[in-house]
Amino acid sequence: MNIIEFKNITKKFGNLTANDNVTFSIKKNSVHCIVGENGAGKSTLMKILFGVYRQDEGIITIKGKEADFSSPLDAIDCRIGMLHQHFMLIEDFTVLENVILGSEITRNIKLDFDKSEKILNEYIEKYNLDLSLDKKISELSISEQQKVEILKLLYRNSDIIIFDEPTAVLSPIEVIEFFKIIYQFKIEGKTIILITHKLNEVKEISEYVSVLRRGKLVYETDAENLDIKILSKEIVGDVDVKNDSGNYEYEGEPGVLAELKNINLKKNKLNVLNNFDIKLKKGEIYGICGVEGNGQNEVIDILYGLNKNFTGDLNIHTKKISLVPDDRIKKGMIKEFSVGENIIIKKKNLKSVNSKSILKAANDVIIKYDVRLPEVNAPMESLSGGNQQKVIIAREVELDNDLLIFSHPTRGVDIAASSFIHSMILEQKKKGKAILLVSSDLDEILKLSDRFGVINKGCIVAEFEKNQFNLQDETEKTILLESIGKLMIGITGEQKN
Amino acid sequence: MDLISQIISLTFLAQVLRLFTPYFLGANAANFSERSGVVNIAIEGFMIISAMGYALFTIFSGSAVVGFFSAILVGILFSLLFSLFVIKLKINQIVAGVGFNLLMAGLVKFLIIFLFQSSSNTPRFDSLPNIYFLENIPFIGKVLSDYIILFSFALIFISNFVLFKTKFGLRLRSVGENPEAGESLGIKVRLYKLYGVIICGFLASLGGIWLASNQNSFSDGMIAGRGYIAIAAMIIGKWKPVNIFVACIMFAFFEALEISLQISGTFIPSQIVQMLPYLITILVLIGFIGKTKPPAADGIPY
Ligand SMILES: Nc1ncnc2c1ncn2[C@@H]1O[C@H](COP(=O)(O)OP(=O)(O)O)[C@@H](O)[C@H]1O
Ligand SMILES: [Mg+2]
Repeated sequence: MNIIEFKNITKKFGNLTANDNVTFSIKKNSVHCIVGENGAGKSTLMKILFGVYRQDEGIITIKGKEADFSSPLDAIDCRIGMLHQHFMLIEDFTVLENVILGSEITRNIKLDFDKSEKILNEYIEKYNLDLSLDKKISELSISEQQKVEILKLLYRNSDIIIFDEPTAVLSPIEVIEFFKIIYQFKIEGKTIILITHKLNEVKEISEYVSVLRRGKLVYETDAENLDIKILSKEIVGDVDVKNDSGNYEYEGEPGVLAELKNINLKKNKLNVLNNFDIKLKKGEIYGICGVEGNGQNEVIDILYGLNKNFTGDLNIHTKKISLVPDDRIKKGMIKEFSVGENIIIKKKNLKSVNSKSILKAANDVIIKYDVRLPEVNAPMESLSGGNQQKVIIAREVELDNDLLIFSHPTRGVDIAASSFIHSMILEQKKKGKAILLVSSDLDEILKLSDRFGVINKGCIVAEFEKNQFNLQDETEKTILLESIGKLMIGITGEQKN
Repeated sequence: MDLISQIISLTFLAQVLRLFTPYFLGANAANFSERSGVVNIAIEGFMIISAMGYALFTIFSGSAVVGFFSAILVGILFSLLFSLFVIKLKINQIVAGVGFNLLMAGLVKFLIIFLFQSSSNTPRFDSLPNIYFLENIPFIGKVLSDYIILFSFALIFISNFVLFKTKFGLRLRSVGENPEAGESLGIKVRLYKLYGVIICGFLASLGGIWLASNQNSFSDGMIAGRGYIAIAAMIIGKWKPVNIFVACIMFAFFEALEISLQISGTFIPSQIVQMLPYLITILVLIGFIGKTKPPAADGIPY
C-alpha cells in the first residue's frame, strides 16, 4: 500500500527548477532511499512533503488523502517527522528543553519537567540513545546531537520519518548504531525515507530507491534489482566519474618533512594525546582514520601551530603549511564573503586588493577547478557544499605549500565532486608535497593513503603500509576491514607494528 | 567614621532601593526583549515617554491612577510602534533604537514648551498612592509602601519563573536563540518577538512612571541615561534575572555612596566621586564576571 504519493511535483526558486515534475510513491512501512548529487533537489522535495515549502504544481497524497500543508505544524499533526540536514537545535538549551519545545507538557502554567523527563527517558532506554536530558547541546558531539533530533521525532510520535543525509556526519560505527535504530523503526511499522550520498549504505538498508538528478526523477528500483554500478551512473548522468587509474607517484627526492614523537597533550586534565607518533614524508599521503574525537583535531592543531601546550618532540622542516579544516563553514571560510574574497584573504605578498584582483582570483579558481556558482560575486554560503569545498581546497593548494593537511575533505560532498577532490589531493602528492589526510571514511583512507594509522584515544594504535591494505582478495579485505574497525573502537589489544 | 555610620543606616538602604528600582525595571525590560532576539536600546526612550505620559494624564485628569494606566498604555503603544519597525519592517535594531531615543527626547521637550509654556519642566502633580499602613514605618516606610518598588522585588522571581519555568518563556527564549529551530517546531517566531517587545515596553514604562511619580514633576532630561545603565546591568547580569538583580543593586549602592560622599563633603574632586559607580562596576566586571554571551540570535532580524 502506498502511504505517500508524489504526483507531478514542480518547485521553482526564481528561474531555477529544483523539482521538475516528480512522480513516485512510497510504500507503507518501507525503507525508501532517495539519492542524488548535491543540488539534485532531494531536500527541497522533502521540505515540500514536510510543509516547509509549498509546491508550485502537483499534489501530494498521504494515506490516501491530499495533503495541503501550510507549515510543518500540519505535517507534524499528520505524524510526519523530519530530521533536517542541518540540525535544528538550540545550543544553549538542554536536551530536554530542545525536545519538548513546541509540544510542551504543562501543569497549570508551569512546565511539567518531571513528566516529560519520564516519557523521554523511556524512549532513551528503548532505543538505546544514551543521552542525558540535562546536558546542553553545546556539550554534545555531533552524533549525540543527532540522537536529540531522533528523540524529538519519537516524542512527537512520528510514524513517517524523513532523514536528510543523516549519515554524512557519522563515523562508520555510529552509522551501524544509527541503522539499528532504523531497523527498530521498521519493526514498529514506521515508514522511513532516507536521503544519502553513500551507495554502500543504500545497498545495505534500502528496500526501494529513487534517484533524482537536476530536479527530475530519473530512476527507480527495488532492493532485489539494485545494481550499484547502474545506480551511480544514474546519479551523475552523462558526466563520467573520473577514475584514479592515473599515475600519481612522486619521483623526486624522498625526505621526512615533519615528525611528531611522543606527543602528549592534556585538555581539562584529560589526556587527549598519548605518546602520539607520526612521520610525514615528501610525496606521500599519510592517513589517520578513527572515530571522531579521538585526538585528530588536536594533532592538526599542533601541526598547524594552533596549540603549543603539548609535551614531546615536534620537528617540522617547513613553515609553509596548508590546512583544509573539518568544518568548512566555521573554520574554512567567511561565508558572507565572495569566492574571490575568500581566496585573496590568504594570499601573501599581495600588492593591492581591489575588485579587479578579487575577480581575477575568483575566475582563476572557478575555471581551473570547475566551480559552479550562481554568479561570480555570490557569497560563499550560496554555493553547494561540494563547490565550497572545491574553493577551499583550491585556495590551499594554490598556495603551493610543502605540507598539506586535509581533514574530512569530502564530508557531505557528492560523488562527482568527491572524485574531483580526490584527484586534486593525489596531484599534490605527485608534486612531492607531504600530505596528512584525516578522515572517518575508511574507503577514502584506503583509496588515497600510502600509509595510514588508526587513532584511538589519542594514540596511533596500528599502522598499515600500502602492501598490507592494498588487497585484491575479497575475503582478506573483509578480514582487514573488520580488524581496522575493531582497532578504531579500541576493542583489540593488538600491538603496533 | 561619619561615612560608615551613614552607609549602615536604614536611610542609606532606602536610598539604595530607590536608585535600584528604575534600573532593575529597565534591565528586565531590556532582557525580555533580548531574550526574544530583539536588541532594544530604546529603553531610555520608553522611560522618557511614559514618564511624560504619567505627568500629562495625571495633570489633566487630576488622578494619579488614571495617569498610571494611561502611561502604561502609552509605553505599550510605543513598543508596538517599535515592533513595527524592527520586527515587521526589519529595520536595523540599533538604528531604530537610537532613532526612538532621539525622537522621544525631542517630543517631550516640544510637549513641555507647547503645553506648559515652560522651557524645562511641567507643573507639579501627585504621586502614585501608597500602601498607607506601611508608610509610617520609620526610615524605610516610604520604600516598603511603594507598589512599584515591591513589584520590582517580586520581579526577580517573576522574571525567573516566566523565562525558565513556563512554556511561554521556553518559546520566547527559543526565538532569541535559534528562530529557524523554533519555526521548524511550529513556533510563531515573530509573534513571540512581539510579546518580548511588549513586555519590554510595559516594564520600561513602569520605570519611567516611578521616576516621574517620585519627583512630582517631569523635567527635561530627568531619565538621565538610566535606560542605558539598565542595559549595562543586563549585560553584566548575563541576561539572567538574579544576576541582573545583583548588578542593579551594585550600581545603586555605589551611586548612593557617591551621593553620601558628596553630601558629607570630601577632598576628592566631585567629578571623580561621580565616576565611582561606573569605575567600581567595571573593576568588578573584570574581576568576577567571565565572558558574557548574549542570546545567539540577538539582534538578527527574522
Ligand atoms: N530556499 C532556496 N532558495 C533558492 N534556491 C534554493 C533554495 N533551496 C534550494 N535551492 C536550490 O535548489 C536546488 C536543489 O537544492 P536541494 O533540494 O537542497 O538539493 P539537495 O538536497 O539534493 O542537495 C539547488 O540548486 C539549490 O541551490
Ligand atoms: Mg540536501
